[in-house]
Amino acid sequence: MTATPIATAKPRLLASGAQQKLLAFASLIVLLLFFSLASPNFLQTANILAILQATSVNGVLAIAATLVIITGGIDLSVGTLMTFTAVIAGVVLTFWGLAMPVGILAAIAAGAACGFISGSLIARMKIPPFIATLGMMLILKGLSLVISGTKPIYFNDTPSFPQLSTGSLIGALVPALPVPNGVMILFILALIISWVLNRTTLGRYCFALGSNEEAVRLSGVNADGWKVAIYALAGGICGIAGLLIASRLNSAQPALGQGYELDAIAAVVIGGTSLAGGRGSILGTIIGALIMSVLLNGLRILSVAQEWQTVVTGVIIIAAVYADMLRRRRAG
Amino acid sequence: MTEVIRMSGIEKRFPGVHALRGAQFDLMAGEVHALMGENGAGKSTLMKILSGIYAPDGGTLHVNGAEVRIAGPRAAQGLGIGIIHQELALMPDLTVAQNIFIGREPRSRWGVLDEAQINRDAEAIFAAMKVPVDPRAEVRSLTIAKQQMVEIAKALSFRSRILIMDEPTAALNDAETEELFAIIRRLKSEGVAIVYISHKMDEIRRISDRVTVMRDGAYVGTVAASDTPIETIITMMVGRELDQTAAEIPDLSAAPVALEVSGLSRGRMVRDVSFTLRRGEILGFAGLMGAGRTEVARVIFGADPRDGGKIIVHGKERQIRTPQDAVAAGIGYLSEDRKHFGLALGIDVRGNIALTSLERFSDRFLRVDDAALAKIAANYIGSLAIRTPSDRQEVRLLSGGNQQKVVIAKWLLRDCDILIFDEPTRGIDVGAKAEIYRLLQSPAEAGKAIIVISSELPEVLRLSHRIAVMCEGRLTGILPGGPATSQQEIMRLATQRDTAPQGASA
Amino acid sequence: MLNRRTLLATLTAGSLLATSGFALAQDKMYIPLISKGFQHQFWQAVKAGADKAAAEFGVEVTFEGPDTEAQVDKQMDMLAAALAKKPAAIGFAALDSQAATPLLKQAQEAGIPIIAFDSGVDSDIPATTVTTDNLAAAALAADKMAELIGGAGKVALVVHDQTSRTGIDRRDGFVNEVKAKYPNIEIVDIQYGAGDQLQSTEITKAILTAHPDIKGIFGANEGSAIGVLNAIKETGTKGVVVIGYDSGKLQKDAIRSGEMAGAITQNPVGIGYETVKAAIAAVKGEKLPAKIDSGFKWYDKTNIDDPEIAAVLYD
Repeated sequence: MTATPIATAKPRLLASGAQQKLLAFASLIVLLLFFSLASPNFLQTANILAILQATSVNGVLAIAATLVIITGGIDLSVGTLMTFTAVIAGVVLTFWGLAMPVGILAAIAAGAACGFISGSLIARMKIPPFIATLGMMLILKGLSLVISGTKPIYFNDTPSFPQLSTGSLIGALVPALPVPNGVMILFILALIISWVLNRTTLGRYCFALGSNEEAVRLSGVNADGWKVAIYALAGGICGIAGLLIASRLNSAQPALGQGYELDAIAAVVIGGTSLAGGRGSILGTIIGALIMSVLLNGLRILSVAQEWQTVVTGVIIIAAVYADMLRRRRAG
Repeated sequence: MTEVIRMSGIEKRFPGVHALRGAQFDLMAGEVHALMGENGAGKSTLMKILSGIYAPDGGTLHVNGAEVRIAGPRAAQGLGIGIIHQELALMPDLTVAQNIFIGREPRSRWGVLDEAQINRDAEAIFAAMKVPVDPRAEVRSLTIAKQQMVEIAKALSFRSRILIMDEPTAALNDAETEELFAIIRRLKSEGVAIVYISHKMDEIRRISDRVTVMRDGAYVGTVAASDTPIETIITMMVGRELDQTAAEIPDLSAAPVALEVSGLSRGRMVRDVSFTLRRGEILGFAGLMGAGRTEVARVIFGADPRDGGKIIVHGKERQIRTPQDAVAAGIGYLSEDRKHFGLALGIDVRGNIALTSLERFSDRFLRVDDAALAKIAANYIGSLAIRTPSDRQEVRLLSGGNQQKVVIAKWLLRDCDILIFDEPTRGIDVGAKAEIYRLLQSPAEAGKAIIVISSELPEVLRLSHRIAVMCEGRLTGILPGGPATSQQEIMRLATQRDTAPQGASA
Repeated sequence: MLNRRTLLATLTAGSLLATSGFALAQDKMYIPLISKGFQHQFWQAVKAGADKAAAEFGVEVTFEGPDTEAQVDKQMDMLAAALAKKPAAIGFAALDSQAATPLLKQAQEAGIPIIAFDSGVDSDIPATTVTTDNLAAAALAADKMAELIGGAGKVALVVHDQTSRTGIDRRDGFVNEVKAKYPNIEIVDIQYGAGDQLQSTEITKAILTAHPDIKGIFGANEGSAIGVLNAIKETGTKGVVVIGYDSGKLQKDAIRSGEMAGAITQNPVGIGYETVKAAIAAVKGEKLPAKIDSGFKWYDKTNIDDPEIAAVLYD
């Protein structure tokens, strides 16, 4: 028996998270290059903006899902929660005729409240996240239909509402760069949440909970309280997604939402966040969401049949996760 | 020296278990106080009460002379009590510094973390400990020993004057242990009081000043470590009356060898283990927790890969790489953790009994012959006296003893010639134990070869025809079963370390 | 190493798929059809009609639609991608006309004609709308219902939704015809089941329970009609006249076996065909009528195998 040599931690060129981000980022670049070469129609301002616009809602949802997944949980309700908050905005703005800021606050508050409920079910009542959020997913889907009377709620009385997502503040300043507000909101939110994850207590506990929940508890941290807070924050972010999609469609579509949670989770996973919790990043998630919409858009531009688009998306998800596993196994 | 801790009359009950019965313990500033006892004696429970993880059901607790109630881990930290858990309570994805300061991160307004600050603070702690650990390293990337240092640093960061270490060397090699001891001595010289829980006799003698022994949740006595013979401590730990019904040892000298293992190795947990097992024989495996007994069983069963060694079954060497190979060779393994490995809890009794033999009860269209299965299940329910309303009862609804019987039935049905029982009576009440013993004896009488791994010495003594004792992955000796062998002899082998340096000099 | 391998794999997979894209000659007139659905038999029949026209007129056609009719935003992503390909014209069946307006305006500005089809687009941007006259078709269903139940009694409607043009028209077409011509027929219930078979089944069961003396039920699209049939089967109800809409294997079988009295068929193949044809005409600057009726037919046991009917039915 030889003694294990005592050495300081292996210095690594890049943190493991950074490696995965690099991998995902490289894949994104390759996809962009490939589609640009394959079709002259791909790399056009209008199309790139369309891709970004298509990413905005899924990207925001994926940010919410990232927070929860880093804690080692899962949130299946992000899609229908998004719809629910859109409907709430519709009720406030169209049914009650209140001012736009009230509708925005109401949607985000409703999202946070629902997240708070999910979090409480999970942290206090110890219902497994999968079940608790599956229940919430159905509850919110049903409530959206009930509240809206199963009909879309249009925002025609609030003419500036569509501007929230489809207008372009940047475009007003720099006409050559008409990036829609929805996309800017996604990127700004990503920066904020990335900062929250890496620089604040809440973020720290996100990783800590996903890494070893019992250890967090034994360290005297109010683990349950923080978990509820994280789910509530994720819920609030879903509220932003709700506003974005409602604004883009100029309507709250009550039947929409189911299935969107899977797109969000797929983006998170492609971005290298581990479903086991403890590791992940917002940058990765954004890249993951971009990969998904670039892929879909590119395949459409190449006129690949719709059936095959679905197949390719599935293959990419599995390949991304497998590549991540290989990398991690190598890292030991 | 001043007394920093006095615990007396501590009571703790868990459902079905009276874990602590009037336990007591005291601790002086600047001493290392070893807390010893067999597995389940209540050491860890007592220390979890001291560190605020459990609330006591009765008794008093004084810290620095004042009676206190410790409401939680936070409160214990506030009193300067730090604990290093047996299973390291670290978050592998966080950095060293982040782990140390979890829950009390220095932050500015809006909860913004000051990462530089915690790195500096952690650096200072490691400098004081004279241990080179990079505060920015991810804990995942550290060796177990280094992780242990992180735990200690974390405890020290609370300005802990009282440090509880629960089996801190369980996963350390000798050099790492030395490193740890150096730190313990340094802390001691600074007046920190240390509770040291360990099974390793030689370590206790080297590092500790006093030894308190517990048994069955009660206080046995406190002795000075330096001038008390190990035998005395062992006797204090074992203490209880021997079960009078000792094993009847049949003469098996003529019986054919069923299993021969030679030079079996796997990492540090199984080192060059060799033994033979005859048909009809019950070979007991004794040793302290972590001695490598389960690991030997798992390697033989093909559940873990082996680095070296031969497994010879009925005179023929078998290449066992997977549990399927082992079962094909006629080896059955009844895992320590029935719920995880041995039983499909949601499936009924019949299904569990048939689980490993389903192929025998299905035709080539994979249709299962349920009538035959029902008959077989009924047979075993009768012969093993499994108390269940019917063979369709879900196994999770049965008592621990009856669940164990279902596992046994499963392997008997599989017709294995060699059965390895890992802690067959763990979690089973005393009444049912005798029944399980009979169940182990009857297949042996029928010519099967049996290995029983048990941490309870009386159980090993009562069942085994021969007793193999392990310590730190090595087989330190094989003793005859029956009244000829004493628990003390087993304990001596179980603590016979390979590289134990003598004396307390560093 | 790993990176390179992954990238290579991505490239290979991509280029395999792309060959189909390259194969399409760029000089052909390109007309994407963005529909309301994709997997459903009805939409596949529309696609078949579009493909037929594409082959006939030598144009390139693609056909896409979201997984469910709720995914308004996904449909817009499809429309955006279609626009990026600089098509000659676009066929479009809006899930939500309002939501699509900005993109349609974008197409208009780019001079790309829009041909609305099926439920159409609530806007004046489309050059024309290729659709079934659902009001007239549903009125025909009401006449057949009246005939089959003897002009008197209680009837109910199971409709797919109350927001889409087809849902509204089929409901109103049926109800108005009954009100106008059959004073002895009472419409006791109108329920909406999202075109989902299961949901429609449950709705119908509730109707059957509430009105045991009901004489007939009209299912306003394929999913609704099959739901009605399921409920009748599951509850063992006898003597209720069921009239369906559209076709599909299950409805055809039910009509052959007599479980369903008959159904209105649109001409989905015709919708697809006419849409492409209208698009080509629009590109060439020909004048188009505001509406192009793709036609509908009543079919029952007696005429289901007539070649004229069989041609517009799909499985």
